[in-house]
Formats: sequence, structure tokens, C-alpha cells
Amino acid sequence: MNEDYLWDKSGEPDPQIEELEQILAPLRYQPKPLELPVVRRRNYFSLAAIAATLLVALLAGGIWIKSRKQQTPPQQEIVKFVPSEAEEKEPSPPAVVVTNTDLPRKSIHKRNKRIFTKHEREEALAAKEQVLLALRVASEKLKLAQRRTQTPPPNQIKNQHKVG
Amino acid sequence: MKLLFHKIRIPLIAGLLVVTAAFTVQAQNPRIQTISIEHLVAKASRTIDVNVDERLMKMAAKLLSDKDIEEKEIKQLVAGIKGIYVKSFEFEADGQYTTADVESIRSQVRGPSWSRMVNVTSKKDGGLEVYLSFQGELVNGLAVIATDDREFTVVNIVGPVDLDKLAKLEGQFGVPDLGIETTKAKPKNDK
Repeated sequence: MNEDYLWDKSGEPDPQIEELEQILAPLRYQPKPLELPVVRRRNYFSLAAIAATLLVALLAGGIWIKSRKQQTPPQQEIVKFVPSEAEEKEPSPPAVVVTNTDLPRKSIHKRNKRIFTKHEREEALAAKEQVLLALRVASEKLKLAQRRTQTPPPNQIKNQHKVG
Repeated sequence: MKLLFHKIRIPLIAGLLVVTAAFTVQAQNPRIQTISIEHLVAKASRTIDVNVDERLMKMAAKLLSDKDIEEKEIKQLVAGIKGIYVKSFEFEADGQYTTADVESIRSQVRGPSWSRMVNVTSKKDGGLEVYLSFQGELVNGLAVIATDDREFTVVNIVGPVDLDKLAKLEGQFGVPDLGIETTKAKPKNDK
């Protein structure tokens, strides 16, 4: 059997092939203009909103964790309130450095007394000295003013003696 | 012109109000600026410079004991005080500061809230001025200007001050004598 019909339709037609041709005819190439699919613009708003929400949540979480860390006094650096010079003269327990970090929070803020860190305590002591110095200067000047306004001038007394 | 004024009327009034408020607040603030006399540090043989703001005052107050009588008195005295500032210069020679230096401080206590309580001037002992700042009927500031041939001191306390208590505190605190009044005869029963 000549199979040329199958390749270029030049030979004797084969009924089976013809039948197949008829079946497949609707699927034959038909020239028509190209129809490009319509590009739909994707809406990124929802994605952006989700991303922003996640970012805000992460930021809030970070700030919260950081603030919690700051509220907890730094380990090894907690110095208990040390009494002033006047109190030190009295027999009192020495300054205690708290190193046990497993202590419950209540013991750290015992009786609502502010516990300074080492740096804060040094700053407070310096401030106290400055306050005392300033008060002394102010007090001396005020006392001097009182003295000068209350005591009569010495010349006046001398004159009174002379007159008397 | 009228149209222009009409357009800028509201911003203009708002601006004026802000400026007026700022000047009023500044006028009522009993804090004295001492930048104008900072240059005297170089000339002075001895300088006392105290700058304690409200935050430091609170910190210092926490270290003052309630058990010690003297410290308790001081604690009561400084309660409510928002700042203490002292500038004191001692010189080895006369005439190291000018009247302009004194005037730069004095001009700040000429505001309506300030009242001069004491003004003692003596050729021998120098000048001593005490000013109080009032907010209504309450004292909210103190200023002391002490001048001598070889000394210039400015004390400024911001906040309520009890003058009697402050004067009585002299000689307390266990702070060593500053020797500020070394040139003058000091009564023995001063403490």
C-alpha cells in the first residue's frame, strides 16, 4: 500500500485516514488574529496590609520585651541603698550587693524603696554633696544679710558714746 | 491691604499669643542664667559652681536620712525645691569683675515676680542683695547676690524656700567650712 496520501495526499486515499481527517478537521489550524489575554492588575493592598500588621506586631513585641528587660534591674550591678555618713556611724548592716538573680521581684522593691544602680548611687551622692554645699553657701549669705540688717552700724554707736 | 490683613489675621493673633505666653513664662521663671559671668572662672582663684536640677534634687533627697535630725531638717527644707544653682568666685586681687557682670545678674531679678527683700551696701563689707520670687502669694524662688572687692557670689534656688530655716542651717551638715567669709570677722557663737 502506497502511504504517500498519509504524508502529502499524493497517493491513493486511505478511508481510515480520511475518516480520521474528518474527525480531526475542526481542530485544524485556522488563521485568526492573536488574542492576547487581558492582564489583570493585582491588588497588593491586602498583602501590604498584612505585612504592615506583622511588622507592627513584631515592633510592639520587641519594645515590650525591651521594656521588660529595662524594668528588671541589671544582674550583678544591683546595689542596695547604703545609708548616709550619719547612719554609717551607727552599727548597721553593711551594703549588700545582690547577686542572686532568682529573687522574686517583691524583694527587689521591698517597701517601695528605690534601689539605685551603682552609677545612679554615685550620681545621687555627688548631687547630695552639691546640695549641701549650695545650702551652706546660701545659708551663710542669708545669715550675713540678717546680721547686717539687724546690727546697727558701728560708727553710730561710737557717735552715741561721744555725745553721751 | 485690608484683604491681606484679613487673610493673615488669625495666624498673626495666634503668633502674638504664643510670643506673649513665652515671654510671660520666661518672666515668671525664677531660674537665673549665669552664662554671662562664666568668663570669671579664668580670673578667679577659687570657684564654687553648683548646678543641681530637679532630677538631681530628687535623687539627693532620697539619700537624705529621716533618722538623722540634721538631714531630716534638710530633707524637709529641700522638699519641693526644683533646683539649686550657685556661682561663687573668689579673686586674689580687687576689681576682677565689672559692674556689668553684676548687672547681668541683677537685670534678671527686676521682673514683676521678683521682690528685693534685703539690700545692704557697705564700702567695707561689699553689697548683699536678697530677692524673692513670688507666684501669687507663694515664694517660688530665691536669689542672693553678694559682692565684695574680691568676691562675687550668686545663689539661685528655684522652688519654695523657707528663708528662716535656710538661715538657721548655717554651720550644719558636717560640710567643712568654705571660708567664704575669711576676710570678715565672724562671731564665735555663729553655729
